[in-house]
Parts: sequence; C-alpha cells; structure tokens
Amino acid sequence: MKRNRALSLVMIASLSAAALTACGGNGDGGGAGNGGSASSPAASGSAGAKPAKDPVTLTFVIANTEDTTAYTKVFDAYEQKTGNKVELQALPGGDYDNLIKTRFSTGDFPDLFLMQPGTKQYVKLRADETLHEWTNESGVWDNVIDSIKQAQVQNDKIYGVPYGSTGMMGVFYNKDVFAKVGVNPPTNYADLIEIAKKIKAAGITPFYEGIKDAWPPQVFYYTGWVTQVDPAIGDEGVAKLNSNQLKLSDIPELRDLFAKQKELKELGLFQDNVMSGTYDELQNEFGDGKVAMTFMLDGIIAQLEKKFGKDFVANSLGFFPFPSATDTGTAMITPPNQLMVPEKAKHAAEAIELVKFMLEPANVDLFYANKPGIPIYKGATSELYPAQEDVKKYIDEGKSKVNIQNRLTPSFVDFSKTLQNFFLDGDIDKAINEFSSNYQKDGKAKVLEGF
Amino acid sequence: MERRKYPLYFSFPALAVFLLFFIAPTFIGIYYSFTDWNVNADSIRFIGLDNYKALFEEPRLGKALSNTLIFAAAVTVLQNAVGLGLALLMNEAIRMRNLFRTIFFMPYVIAPIVIGYVFRAIYHPEHGIVNEALGWIGLGSLGQDWLNNPKWALFSIIATDIWRVAGFAMVVYLAGLQFIPKDLTESASIDGASYWRRFRHIVFPLLASSFTVNVLLSVIGSMKVFEMVMVLTDGGPGYTTEVFYTYIRSTFSMGQMGYSTAINLVLFVLVTLVGVPVLTALKKREVEM
Repeated sequence: MKRNRALSLVMIASLSAAALTACGGNGDGGGAGNGGSASSPAASGSAGAKPAKDPVTLTFVIANTEDTTAYTKVFDAYEQKTGNKVELQALPGGDYDNLIKTRFSTGDFPDLFLMQPGTKQYVKLRADETLHEWTNESGVWDNVIDSIKQAQVQNDKIYGVPYGSTGMMGVFYNKDVFAKVGVNPPTNYADLIEIAKKIKAAGITPFYEGIKDAWPPQVFYYTGWVTQVDPAIGDEGVAKLNSNQLKLSDIPELRDLFAKQKELKELGLFQDNVMSGTYDELQNEFGDGKVAMTFMLDGIIAQLEKKFGKDFVANSLGFFPFPSATDTGTAMITPPNQLMVPEKAKHAAEAIELVKFMLEPANVDLFYANKPGIPIYKGATSELYPAQEDVKKYIDEGKSKVNIQNRLTPSFVDFSKTLQNFFLDGDIDKAINEFSSNYQKDGKAKVLEGF
Repeated sequence: MERRKYPLYFSFPALAVFLLFFIAPTFIGIYYSFTDWNVNADSIRFIGLDNYKALFEEPRLGKALSNTLIFAAAVTVLQNAVGLGLALLMNEAIRMRNLFRTIFFMPYVIAPIVIGYVFRAIYHPEHGIVNEALGWIGLGSLGQDWLNNPKWALFSIIATDIWRVAGFAMVVYLAGLQFIPKDLTESASIDGASYWRRFRHIVFPLLASSFTVNVLLSVIGSMKVFEMVMVLTDGGPGYTTEVFYTYIRSTFSMGQMGYSTAINLVLFVLVTLVGVPVLTALKKREVEM
C-alpha cells in the first residue's frame, strides 16, 4: 500500500512536471537558435555575387492571406528571362511571423520572403545578423518614392525592399446610403456625428465594428492618430515614444480617441449586438446597404469586389479620412510589404537579382496590372478605384501620414484584447493604461534602448 | 503462484528516456524562469525573482488563475458525474450497448482543435445548432452569442470540454465496474437493497480506485487546458476566458521566454498543490478487494 502511494505521488509529480516540459524543450531550441545564427556555416551567396549559370529553383515565402497572382506573373517573366524558377511557399498568415522566426532559428532560410512593413521587422529578425542589407544596393532605390524609402531606414540601414502599393485606412462609406439619406462626406468630426445621427434616424446602421474578430476596432485609433495625435505630438513625440521618453497614456489626444469611440457606442451609432460583429458580416451588411460607414483598412476593397462586383466598388464605395475638429483630417497610409533576403539563404545572390528584376519598370507595371493599388514607384501606373483616387489626392496634397505602427519599433501588443474589454466595460483609464503598459512591455521584450 | 521478478536494470532505458525528456527539461525550465531569457537579447542573465515579481503584479494573472481553477473544478466534477452516469447506464444489459459505448468515447479520440472548430459552428449566434434548437422549442429568447458573451463564454468552453472527455471517464469507470463481484450486488438485492443503496454502499466504494484515477487526470488535465480555449475564444472576449496557457502563449509569442517559463512554473506548483492533496484524500478512501 505504501509503495502504491509512493508510486502514485511520483506519478502525479511526473504529470505536473509535464506542464513544464514544453518550456524546457523550447529552452534548448531557443538557445540553439540564439547561438545558431552566430555559428552557422558561412553563407554560400552574398550581395554582388554573379547570377547562377545553371538554373536554380528559388523559394519565396509569403503569407497565405496574400493574393499571389501578381507575384506569379512576375516570376513567370523572371523564369523566361533567366531560366531560374521560383517556388512559392504560402505559410499561415496568423502565425506567419512566428513561423519565419522559427525557420530562422533553425537555419531553414528561404531564399526570399515577404514581410510586413516597418523597421520593427528588423528587430524581430535580428536583421543586422541575418538579412542582406539593401542600403546602397544599385538598381533598387532609383524609382522608390522617398517617403516610402525613409520608412525603411533604421540606424542608416535598410534590410527590406518595399514592394507593392500604398495601403490606406480610414472611413469607407456606402455612397448609395449617403445619397438615400441626403448627406455628404463630413467636413469635420462634429459633422461626422451629425451625419451618423441622420443615418440612424433613417433606420440604417451608421457604423459597424467587428469586435468579435478582435482586430477591426483598432483601425479607429490608427486612422484617428494621424489626424489628431500626430499634429499634437509631432515627429519629436513619435521619437520619444520610440525611446520610452513619452508614455502613450500621457497623450491627451490619444485619450480623446478612446472617449470618441466610447461616445459612438453610447450614442448607439454602432450596430446592435456590437460585441458579435465580424469582418465578414460587415462586408455583407455594408454591401447590402444596411450599414453606412466603417473604420476599416483597404483590404475591404478586394473583399467587396469579390462579393458585390467591380461596379459596386467603382460606383458605391467612397472613402474619407478620420476628420479632425476643424477639417477633413489626414489620410492614413500604410507602406507596402517588404522583400527580404536572408544573408545565409542558399541562393541569396539569385534572390537579390530577382528583387532587382521585380523592380524593373516593366515588371512593376506587370505587378500593378494584376494587383492594382496606389503605386510607390515613380512613373509606375495602376488602375485605381475612386476610393483609392481619393487617398491619392490627399497624398498628392501632402495631407497623408504613414501608419503610426510602421513608425514605432515596439508593437501595440494585445491592443485588440484591450479594446474588446473596453467595449465591455467602457473604462477609458483602464484601457489606455493597459495599452500604454503593453507597449512598454513589448519595448522591453525587444530589448530596445530606453525600455 | 510466485510472482516472477524482473531485474531492475530492465527499467533503465525507460528511466533514461524519462530523465532526458521530462526530468532534465523540467529542471532546465526551472532555471530559465529565473533568467531574462528573451529571443531578442544577445545573452541570458540570471535575474533572481524579477520575473515572479513582475508576474504577481500583472492583473492578467488573477484572471488566468481564477478561470483556470473554475474550469478545472467544473470539468472535474461534471466529467466524473457524466462519465459515471454513462458508465452505469452502459453497464446495464441494453441493446446496442457497444455501439453507444463507442459513440460516447469517440469525442475523446478527436483532436481538441477539431472539436473546437466544430463547436464554434455549433455555438454560432445566428446559424449555430444551439440557438436554432432553442428557437424550435420556443425558447429563442434565450439564444446567446455563446462564445462572445462574457457571461457565457467560459461555461460554453467548459460544456464543450465535458462533452469531449466524459467518454474517457466512462471507459475508466466501466473498467472498474467489471471488477466488482456480482455476488455482492446480487446478495444486496436479495436483502432488499434499492438500486440507489446498492450504488451508494457497494458500487461507489468499490469504484474508488477508478474515481481516483479519473479525478486526478481530470484535475491535472483541465488545469493545463489550452487548445479548447485557444480555438473557441482565444481567451476572449478581452481577457474574460484567459487561462494559464493562453497567457503563457501570449508571452512566449512576445519572445519573453524566461518570463513565460516563470508563469509555467507557477502553474506547475499550482497543479502540484491541488493534485497532491486530492490524491492523498482519495487514496485514503480506496478499499482493497
């Protein structure tokens, strides 16, 4: 009996210990990862190496949330010219960053991969040790719009080549609904609220938020930031946020954004059962004319085109920025994703040549012909929808600003969860303090100076 | 008949594997919980109790702790109640008994992630079977967004997990029921004991070892819940269904390996603190046959 009890105690201790095993296992893996990047064999390819004489197959890793049609067209042209093939590997979008980091830590480098924009990706991937540097690479920067190039610079170095088109976030509206209710895009924020009230009075949902999907309510803050936070804190303030000399919770204009979102909820300007809102339902209700407006990113354009056709997007979809207290506001733009080449990739030299090939004007046009968007290259042309033309006007007038997420190195970790809680309890102090604290924690986790 | 004894060294390979893959990583994990190990840092430094100080100042820990304990308590009690009920039913001479046993056990062999995705559809506020069924029986007003309403989300996850694991408890209890001598219950019947009295005074006490195994596995397994919460709610809405492992995942994905190992160690201590007294108490009431 005693032996049985002892055995049982050993059993329970073992089962409990299994809870820790995953950590210990990862401990080994992570350690190897840290050391691995420093001690792996020397790279076979490097910048400036001559293109391979024999055709090779390059691996190009991309998130499966990206439409690959345009890339495939460009790669076909590359194969015709060089004989080299490009094999696309689509990784799950939700875990894309972690999967790329895992491949890096195990030395399983792709030849070329697409990453989200911004210099924070450099920190994630320890770029100075792992990635090819593009700063002075010839044939890369000749046509890239300067503001887009500058968004890629950290400590005077560039490790990613922006590729694609400028994205945007703001208020997308259904023009048919506006016409039916007899309202026009707002001239300021107070006007926006009045318009929303009129739409509600007409029996139509003014705004839709996809709280259930977690990420959509963040768009309100990113679009609001360029209109009312940036003018208040300026680029200096952003620099202070980057070095932890300024706390997010100490910015009154940011606090005001929380108050504004709360006000929309209290005025009943969101859909019923706001906590159950999803991105998918938003598209359906918006396309059916049951919802007038949404704070959203430009990914919705392609989704609406799929569901309601090109005519709907061309004729019924409008866009305006988050309005300020005095004017129509500033358009928020997002840089395109960036192409990166690991220094230790098997075919790094060919991958660098491929990037240069992709940047040739003819291939840029080929890309835009298959994936229209606001070009980031001088001289490039692309068919644009009216909603995109609206943003382009703001860009041309100098009334646009890059998404704050792409200008800060730490991330807004768990912001979507903070906002879900905020929609539940409406506690502004709690929400902004948590937002601020999580930002600082991420800065600390990334071992950034000042955090 | 004398029991044949095997030499002790036969166990060495198994012990070596256990030491290498379970015990050693556990101790390595304990060490790392006292470091600032971070994927973004060049070196790993010993920082004493700093991770634990930060952890106990974190409001999310309280929510993760309470949800984990509520989940573990509810799943342990209900899994055993449902499992025992099913076992008693499936021990009777009913038609197609083996088919029903298979059906009840089947959820346990399906991956929790698959079950999670299926139940996301079942709980869907508009097209889900639960709300549809409530509508058919005239209780449509009770329909909820089961996974997104903070009042119901955790209970929806608990119900799903009980559906998944009750069949396993049933099998363990069924095995225990096979070892109860029929003459004991039959003689009690002849003496006029009701079904309930036979169960209370004969069956249940003799099922004590099965009960111990089931309760212990439930407590430990449910305190380590992850996939079901991850797939159904990802700890949301907000942090309302956050459990230890979703919190650990969140810190791991930020690259804070030392800190997340510290959370894991807290869970380890918690599981041990709950598991050992439960085991000790349950072993006391076991009877030898």
